[in-house]
Amino acid sequence: MDGAAIERLYRSHGHVVLRRARSLLGSEHDAQEALQEVFASLLREPSALREARSIVGWLYQATTHYCLNQLRNRRTGLRLLEQRPAAPEAGPGNQEALAEVRKLLAQMPPDAAAAVVCHHLDGMTHDEVAELLGCSRRQVGYLLERAEASVLRMEQSA
Amino acid sequence: MKNPLAQSLWPACLSALQLDRYLLGELSGAAAEEVRAHLDGCARCKAAASTMRPEPLPRLRLLRAPRPRWHRAAAAAAGLAAAASLVIVLRPAPGERPKGNGIALTMYVKHGSEVRRAGPGETVAPGDSVRFAATTPAAAYVAVLSIDPRGHGSVYYPLGPRAESVPAGADVPLPLGTRLDATVGEEKIVGLFCASPVELDPLRARLEQGGIEIPDGCQVTQWSFVKR
Repeated sequence: MDGAAIERLYRSHGHVVLRRARSLLGSEHDAQEALQEVFASLLREPSALREARSIVGWLYQATTHYCLNQLRNRRTGLRLLEQRPAAPEAGPGNQEALAEVRKLLAQMPPDAAAAVVCHHLDGMTHDEVAELLGCSRRQVGYLLERAEASVLRMEQSA
Repeated sequence: MKNPLAQSLWPACLSALQLDRYLLGELSGAAAEEVRAHLDGCARCKAAASTMRPEPLPRLRLLRAPRPRWHRAAAAAAGLAAAASLVIVLRPAPGERPKGNGIALTMYVKHGSEVRRAGPGETVAPGDSVRFAATTPAAAYVAVLSIDPRGHGSVYYPLGPRAESVPAGADVPLPLGTRLDATVGEEKIVGLFCASPVELDPLRARLEQGGIEIPDGCQVTQWSFVKR
């Protein structure tokens, strides 16, 4: 995949990445950066898409992966995070719940967090999650259960 | 705390993935027909799909072509770049005393998976990601401008046309990073800390012409890094 092809893909599919990054990161600035980064990663590794069964699916995963990393980095830089101006960007009505989920995602094991995003934020069935993440349906159930357990632990220690 | 995972945050019956794939023409005939039929009869899914349409996107930064106008500005850039060490220029607003040099702009560089705090004169590589953090004793309107080795001026932060408000604090991260393109050489960075949301494009243009006019009420910190 060359630069021109990536640019075309960016024009046709970029909005999917941007929308997803907005809801995962809760900040327009950070979402714009995610958009650039996800497509930049294709330039670095043009073969990444060749093996993907679905371009949309690949973009979903690349965006999730990038955004979850950002959420964890933010948590590591908590001191900095607390000084950030609150993200004023509006979106669908469930902003509060989303903000709550973001906090949890940053503290969960990465694979469980990815499953939570697919299931709770994208409304995917366990089958869909399994296909996207390339694991079994049972494994998805296990990941979601781990996520629930880590939420319980966070509640208890809060 | 109520468990936020107790219910799905997705407002439709078809998943976001399925709708995106349908809207982008990725589903096979039968699967696409199934989604189409469902959308016809389901207001929730129809409403969800209507929020998933394409929207205007900014330029893809990494693929930007070399800019014209560099001949004229290159000489100016070379002059500016001579100041590789940290320079702080203070110019107080009328009737206001300078607050001293409590302001600073720090750059964080991500090379591969490694992140480091960079200082003036730092050597970085094309493809590295950089992100800035501001230190300011009082809330200020902040912007980060640069002039690349070709003399092309750009605004690293913010996305909008005017400097944006940053709270007082040390190393407050500016919520926008950038990836360095392949132009090698010395790139000059100008951090602006202002009392008002100044317009940035005139400053960027002035920078390309070889100088910077410091607006009233602004403090400026300048330094450069080397890309190779």
